[in-house]
Amino acid sequence: MGDGPILKLVQPPGPATESPPPPATRGGPRGKRADQRAKRILSIGGGKGGIGKSLISANLAIALARRGKRVVLIDADLGGANLHTTLGLDLPRRTLSDFILRKVERLEDVVSPTGIENLGLVSGALDNLEAATPKHAQKVRLLRHVQALDVDYAILDLGAGTHTNVLDFFLISDHGILALIPEPTAVENAYRFVKAAFWRRVRNVSQVFGYEALLRGVMDGASFRSPVELVATVVERDPEAGANLAHQLAAFRPRLVVNQVRSPQDAEMGHAVVAAWRKYFGLEMEFLGAIDYDDEMWRAVRHRRPLLIERPDAPAGRAFERIAERLLLADAAGLAADPA
Amino acid sequence: MKRLSDQTLYEIIEISADAPKEEVERACDRAAATYGAGSLATYTLASAEETALLSSRIEEARAVLLDPGARARYDERIGVRPATPSPEPDRPPGPTLVPTPARAPWPLPEAEPTTDQPRPISPGLPVVAQSSPPVEPGAAATAGPPQTPLAGLAPAPPAASAPSTAPAPAPIPLTVPAAPGPIALTRTVAPILLDREVVAPGELTVPDGSAWTGEMLRRVRESRGITVQQMAERTRITRHHLENIEQDRFTALPAPVYLRGIIVSLARELRLDGQKVARSYLDRMGAGTDGQPGR
Repeated sequence: MGDGPILKLVQPPGPATESPPPPATRGGPRGKRADQRAKRILSIGGGKGGIGKSLISANLAIALARRGKRVVLIDADLGGANLHTTLGLDLPRRTLSDFILRKVERLEDVVSPTGIENLGLVSGALDNLEAATPKHAQKVRLLRHVQALDVDYAILDLGAGTHTNVLDFFLISDHGILALIPEPTAVENAYRFVKAAFWRRVRNVSQVFGYEALLRGVMDGASFRSPVELVATVVERDPEAGANLAHQLAAFRPRLVVNQVRSPQDAEMGHAVVAAWRKYFGLEMEFLGAIDYDDEMWRAVRHRRPLLIERPDAPAGRAFERIAERLLLADAAGLAADPA
Repeated sequence: MKRLSDQTLYEIIEISADAPKEEVERACDRAAATYGAGSLATYTLASAEETALLSSRIEEARAVLLDPGARARYDERIGVRPATPSPEPDRPPGPTLVPTPARAPWPLPEAEPTTDQPRPISPGLPVVAQSSPPVEPGAAATAGPPQTPLAGLAPAPPAASAPSTAPAPAPIPLTVPAAPGPIALTRTVAPILLDREVVAPGELTVPDGSAWTGEMLRRVRESRGITVQQMAERTRITRHHLENIEQDRFTALPAPVYLRGIIVSLARELRLDGQKVARSYLDRMGAGTDGQPGR
């Protein structure tokens, strides 16, 4: 099985850059039409556990479904899945393990109804250890099927940590959402996660464009704390490769959600992280919004009911609505700019 | 994507080069809060060296950009305002513009709290001002290189330009108002003034450079017509803390690391310079006993 990179590439800047053509891995499984794919893949990660990734995934999914989008929520927290509980469902009969172990052919076959219109769930609750740690080929197959889902949004709830499985799901997404709570532990893990994802993208880009030797030469004996330094050094050796690298890396643009906000200062945290990321790492992040710390939230969790179903008017519920709106706006703008 | 050390002071504090003074000030405060040591947003993202570098550049921005004369020279040097005919990146050898009037708003140095002292004196700062012989104003006006160099602002040491130009090589600022005493370095680094505060008519004004006591904070608050309760609601600082701050009950206050943020928000709500008030207050508190009427 080829350990080829799983990567979303952006168009090289302008006609000037004659880069080797990216090996498009877009085709759907089993001869499906390539254009039949989830319009947008959204993943929620953040490094640390217990920061609300599942709740954010579930409530964003509901908010989007209620706006008439067809949404499938995929519990990609293999080994720690509990999205069905968040949604108040019993353990679905079919789960991701049936797909990973090829008991069923298509990902569609394991999509369970949620009782919410336009929203389906792929549960990741796996009893099978082999399925919980999929091999590379299994992961690639899963990613291809996610891309090929005939829905408007596929939302991946990622596990904690910085395992390459988690990072690859994050990198393949149109919107990689970084979840954070205003605590040093979460901040630390978030930066570790997002840096790990970034350097994996560097590796992927270099594999795809054949920059490995170049990068190895550049990185040999030097350690680069930030992309700024790396790109600057590459440009010195190979301006064209440097320009393309900068372009590919600039496409790495996580979207930040700050959860469990208890004060206006906490809410400002989102802007501060975006600014600090730009200042020290030289890359962009987009602050999608803050979610209030809300007792209604844990009450809803206790009742095994999604907040947006129980109390859409609660502060946290309204925050989810705002974030969903912002995502839709970003996508509308993106579609207008890039009708492909 | 530019390295921190390559960014202009405007890029460092993230404003445009034509931003007014008030905006510069706000941006400095914001940058210090966002990127400074102890900021949650930079935790584990930046190394200690990076944080130190950025902090010193923010202070440099504060010192340079809030001083109209220094700012004009800086702008000229980085070429954002090509007012002079020669757009060389380095300072032109001839003292083409000596922004004399800009000297006026210097604060009285001796009134400045000494804590301002260790701020951005760059290693390259020429110390000529202290040692050079007095020069008669006329000569200095025509020949002296531009004013007292500020941190990071003096790529060409004055000595280098001296031979080519001038009868009077001494780069003493010509309008030094206060006299013979050591031309204090604090002057070049202490443009943080209370006069930047917006003082509405009828409101209490605060003398420059005074040390901030709880009593003064209380008076300012009362002069602004804000009750403790209102202040607590606006700043989300508890009444308890507010009262302890105003009564200088140092031992009852939270640790300095928290207190700094509390005082900064309190001072901002009073439209004071948050950083400065916090520094002054914490210094006094660190010193221990200085004026504790409340105890």
